[in-house]
Amino acid sequence: MKVLIVDDSKIARMGVIKSLKEIQPEAELFQATNGLEAVELFKKEKPDVVFLDLTMPVMDGYEALKKIIEIDKEAQVIVVSADIQSEAKHRVLVAGAKNMYPKPINKEIMTHIFEQDLLL
Amino acid sequence: MIEIKYPDVLLDSLENGHMILDDNFIVSYWNRWLAINTQISKDEIIGKKLDTFYPDINYKVLYRKIITALTIGTPTFYDADSNAKFITINRNKVTTSSLKLMQQQVTISPYIAYENKVMISIYDISELFEAKLMIKKEIKKVHKLNNKLEAEKEIIDKNIMLMRTSADGTIIDISTFFSQFFEFDKKDFLGKNVSIFKLADESDAIYKELWKTIRDKKSWSGELKYKTFNGKEKWVQSRVMPILDSDGELFEFSAVYHDITNEKLLAELYITDPLTKLYNRVHFDEIISFIVEHQRKSDIDFALVIVDIDHFKSINDTYGHQVGDEALVSVAKTLKNSLRENDLIARWGGEEFVIMLKNVTLNEAKAIVEKVRANVEKNRITDSISVTASFGLTKYIKGESAKEIFKRVDSALYEAKRGGRNRVVVK
Amino acid sequence: MNKKILNLKFTEDQIDALREFMNVSIGAATASLANLLDAFGTMHIPEIEICNSSELAGKIESTIDLKSMYYTTKQLFTGKFGGECMFVISEDSAKNLGRHLYNVTIPSGDEIKDAVMELSNILTSTIVSRLTQELNVQVQFFVPSSQFIDANSIIHDEDVVEYSKIIIISTILDFQDQQIKGNIYILTKDEAIESLKILIDKKIEEIYG
Repeated sequence: MKVLIVDDSKIARMGVIKSLKEIQPEAELFQATNGLEAVELFKKEKPDVVFLDLTMPVMDGYEALKKIIEIDKEAQVIVVSADIQSEAKHRVLVAGAKNMYPKPINKEIMTHIFEQDLLL
Repeated sequence: MIEIKYPDVLLDSLENGHMILDDNFIVSYWNRWLAINTQISKDEIIGKKLDTFYPDINYKVLYRKIITALTIGTPTFYDADSNAKFITINRNKVTTSSLKLMQQQVTISPYIAYENKVMISIYDISELFEAKLMIKKEIKKVHKLNNKLEAEKEIIDKNIMLMRTSADGTIIDISTFFSQFFEFDKKDFLGKNVSIFKLADESDAIYKELWKTIRDKKSWSGELKYKTFNGKEKWVQSRVMPILDSDGELFEFSAVYHDITNEKLLAELYITDPLTKLYNRVHFDEIISFIVEHQRKSDIDFALVIVDIDHFKSINDTYGHQVGDEALVSVAKTLKNSLRENDLIARWGGEEFVIMLKNVTLNEAKAIVEKVRANVEKNRITDSISVTASFGLTKYIKGESAKEIFKRVDSALYEAKRGGRNRVVVK
Repeated sequence: MNKKILNLKFTEDQIDALREFMNVSIGAATASLANLLDAFGTMHIPEIEICNSSELAGKIESTIDLKSMYYTTKQLFTGKFGGECMFVISEDSAKNLGRHLYNVTIPSGDEIKDAVMELSNILTSTIVSRLTQELNVQVQFFVPSSQFIDANSIIHDEDVVEYSKIIIISTILDFQDQQIKGNIYILTKDEAIESLKILIDKKIEEIYG
C-alpha cells in the first residue's frame, strides 16, 4: 500500500507516520512538504491514501485537495489539520475528503481511520 | 450551596470581593467583603439572580464572558481601565480623591464547569487607577510643553543665526538659518574652527579683542565681517557668550548673529567717495568735529595734511576727464598705500585730499609726508603720464577749532603751491 | 548577577516542532474565536524568530501598517514556560470587532476595548494553554492590560532593556468576512527560551523515538 503524507512540518509528518506504522507496518511512504509537491507525487505514485495538512506554504491543503480530486475523484484523502473549526471540516468534506481530524493523530484515531473512513 | 467551610473562611478573610454565579446569574456565594461594600448581605442575595440587585450590568456580555471562561477553562476579564463599573461601590476616601466610585478589576474564573459555575472576583484598584490617571495627566502636560518647545525651537532654528562652539572655537552646532545664510551644509561646518569665516584681509585687532573678552568669561558684542562659502562678504552684528561648566570654567561659547550687511553697505556708501573709494568730506568732517568737540587725549595728538595735485586742470584739458579720473584714483591709491593703517584719508573735493596722521610729532609727520610726496612723484598714472602734488602740513593745537587748523593747513598748502609745487610746507 | 551563558540557538527540528505546536495552538484559538464570533477564521502559518531585545520594536513594526492606530493587549503568563502574549489589532479591525461582538452599529471606546480584551484573552489563554499542554507544563495567566496607541509606541526600547534574547512567535488572526485581522506575538526570553528548548526536545524525543 502506498501512503502519501503531506505537511510542511517534519514533526507533524513524523507524528502521522508513527501511528501509521503501528497499523500498517508494510506501507510504502511518500512525503510532501506543500500542496504542489503533493499533487506532483500523487500524479506520479498514485498513492492509496493521502494524509493532507491544510495550512502550508506555496499551495495550501484546500487547493491541493481540489487538484487531487480533479485527478482522481476516488482519491482517499484524510485531512489532518490544526484547524478545528467545524466550518473547515465542512469545507474539506464538500471538496471530497473522506474525513478530517484535528492534530495530532494517535494510534486510536489511525485505527478508526482505517476501519471506518477508508475504502481499501 | 457551598458545603465546605474552609474556603468560606478563606474567602471571607480576603480584601476583595468574590461571588459564585452560574450561567443564569444565580448567586450561590457572596463573601464578607462584598456584603460590607455593597450593603447587601449574604442571606439577602444567595439563591437570587444578580440582575434583581444590579439591573445595569450588560448581561449579554457577562454571559459571553462566563461561557468563554467555562469553555476555554481559563479566566476572562473586564477591561480594568473602563469607565463602566461592574457593580457600583462608593469610595470613602475623603482626601485628594478624584474617584468617587471604586475602580474595579473583575476576573471571571471557571469554578465548577459541569454546573456552569464561575467565580467572579472583584479587586479594588482605585489607588492604582488614580495614580495612573495622574501620570496620564502629567504626561499630557509634558507632551504639550514639549510640542511647544519643539515648535519654538524650530522657529528659532529657521529664523535666527546661532552657533555653538567648544572653548577652543570648534563648531559644535549651528542653526539651519545660519547654514543657509553662510551657504554651507550644516555637516560641513561641524568640527571646523570658527576662523573659517574670517576674511583674509580682515584686521586681527577685533578678533583679539573678541577672544580676550570671552576668555575672560565675559560676553562680547560687536560687528564682524564674515565670508560665506562662496566668498561673499557679510557683516554680522554678533553677540558671543561664554558658557561655563559647573566648576565655573569655560565650557562652550554660544553666539547669536544678526545680518547687518545692507545697513553696513548703505552706511559705507554714505561716507565713501564713489570715485576713489576713500572716505568723503562729510565723513572726515564728522570725525574731526567729534575729535575737536570731545578733546580726548588719545585723539587730539594728530597732524593734518592737505594734498593738492599739481596742474590737474591741464591733465583734464590735455587728456580728457577720463584720464583725469584715472589720475585721481591712482593718486588716491598711492596716498592710501603710503600711510599707516591707523591714519585717516579722505577726498576733500576736486583734486584735493585730506589726511590725518595719528599720534605723531610734527617732525615725524614731516618725514611721512615727504615719503608720500616722493611716492606720488614716482607713481605713473599711465606709461607716459605722472603727476606731482603739493602738501600743506600742520599739527593740531589743543583746544583750537576745526576752522582754525584748516585755515593754517590751507595757508601751508598755498605756500607750497606758490613756492613751486611738488613740495611739503609745514606750518 | 546571572553570568551563565545560555545557548539560545534553535535547531531546524526544534523550530519545526515549535511552529507545529504553535500551529495546533492557533487552531484551537481560532476555533474558540470562531465560536465567539460565529464566523470562519483563515489560518496562517506561524513565524518564529529569535532576536535581540533591541530589535523587537523594529520586527513588530515591520509586520504592521505604521500609519494606523492600534489597540494592543499584553498578557503575562508564568510557569516553566513563561512570557508575554501580545495582541495587536488596528483601529479599523477593532471597530469591526466591537460592532460584531456588541451587535451595535457604532461601538463606544469602552466597548471596543472590552471586545479587544476579550478576544485577546481567549487567544492568549487558548494558545498558551494548548502550547503548554503540548509541552506538558502548567502556566498561570495574569490580567491583560490594553492600550490604544500609534504603531511606533507599541514597544518602547526601555521596556525591554532587561531582556537579552527574545523569541517572537507570531501569526495572523484573520476573519476575512468580518474584516477582523490582528497580529499575535508570543514573547519569551533568556531562561524561558532555554526551558522551552528542553521541553521541545522532550516532545521531539517522544514523537521521533
